[in-house]
Amino acid sequence: MEIANTYYSKDEYVETASGNKVSRQTVLCGSQNIVLNGKVIVQSGSIIRGDLANVRTGRYCVISKNAVIRPPCKQFSKGIAFFPMHIGDHVFIGEDAVVSAAVIGSFVYIGKNAIIGRRCVLKDCCIIEDGAVLPPETTVGSYMRFTAKGTIEGGQGNPNFVPTAMQDQMIDYTKSFYEHFVRAPAAC
Amino acid sequence: MPPAESNDVKIMNKSIVCEDSTLRGDITISQGCVIHPSASILAEAGPIILGENCIVEEYATIAYRLTEEQKRQKEEGNLEPCPPLVVGSNNVFEVGCIVEAQKIGDKNVFECKCYVGPEVVVTNGCVVGAAVSLKCKQVLPESTVIYGRDCQQREAIDKYAYQTLQIDFLRKVLPNYHHLRKPNQDPKRTRSVV
Repeated sequence: MEIANTYYSKDEYVETASGNKVSRQTVLCGSQNIVLNGKVIVQSGSIIRGDLANVRTGRYCVISKNAVIRPPCKQFSKGIAFFPMHIGDHVFIGEDAVVSAAVIGSFVYIGKNAIIGRRCVLKDCCIIEDGAVLPPETTVGSYMRFTAKGTIEGGQGNPNFVPTAMQDQMIDYTKSFYEHFVRAPAAC
Repeated sequence: MPPAESNDVKIMNKSIVCEDSTLRGDITISQGCVIHPSASILAEAGPIILGENCIVEEYATIAYRLTEEQKRQKEEGNLEPCPPLVVGSNNVFEVGCIVEAQKIGDKNVFECKCYVGPEVVVTNGCVVGAAVSLKCKQVLPESTVIYGRDCQQREAIDKYAYQTLQIDFLRKVLPNYHHLRKPNQDPKRTRSVV
């Protein structure tokens, strides 16, 4: 599957030494607590709340426009704690998604406008459909698909919901997304 | 550097208002509120008074807009000043919600990406669930919970959980990471002047 090139202007994105491409129009709060492990794309308008707790993403993640990454909180009998958030490798987070998961595994696809409630656990190779709303503390197992209707489908080797080659497909998809996310050639 | 039009913003002491937030029009923010970065409060039609200990998260919008009729009246130049929109205390506006309700009581929770239209009256202790949108004219009775895709409605069983712990945490943490708008009003001091 080939993806068409997406161009960005030189002024809009910053490319770091480890290959992260981060838009200038993002709100990265507490940037000292955010670890992007290389080749991560953070698009315009997205918010990562590193001030609340640590956020760590793996390689080749894509955080699309206006997505909000917000570490989850839990209320204890004494006080409140925000938990650090871990995102695995090759994770795609769609536009306008709100993510407050505790853990996100690798090769996860989160659709547009999805809402991941507080302290959800998304295991490896799961799919969250566009516009799905995960209630707080939901666990989505590997190779499961959380539908926009609010049901969890698939599993037990059922390839109708999540492709068997989900891992390879997500590697291909995020890698080619990264490679096709290129700086616009200078106007002459 | 607050924008020029936001000079009517009154911020009581002990409240945390991030500088990246959009505050437009005549807005009063009471004590103990926490306004996260990129939240917006738009007082187009008239003043907005935000009650004590409210939390407004990222991309949440509280808007007080002119109705079509009022817009026409404004163009003709005979618009009467609108009464202020009073938002009660202890409300939580979560990420991405859009609230244009005409009245908001106390202890309500507006969850992620919900929409509350301009003809809705929200009383006390209500929870508007994630991605729920309320467009029609209605009055939510006290402690209503609206949830799910089909916007099912029921009465809350358990009592409202106060967000004081979260507010205390945010009040401790946010000043370390953000530029804040300075409180410019002190209720005690103004009272002593009067």
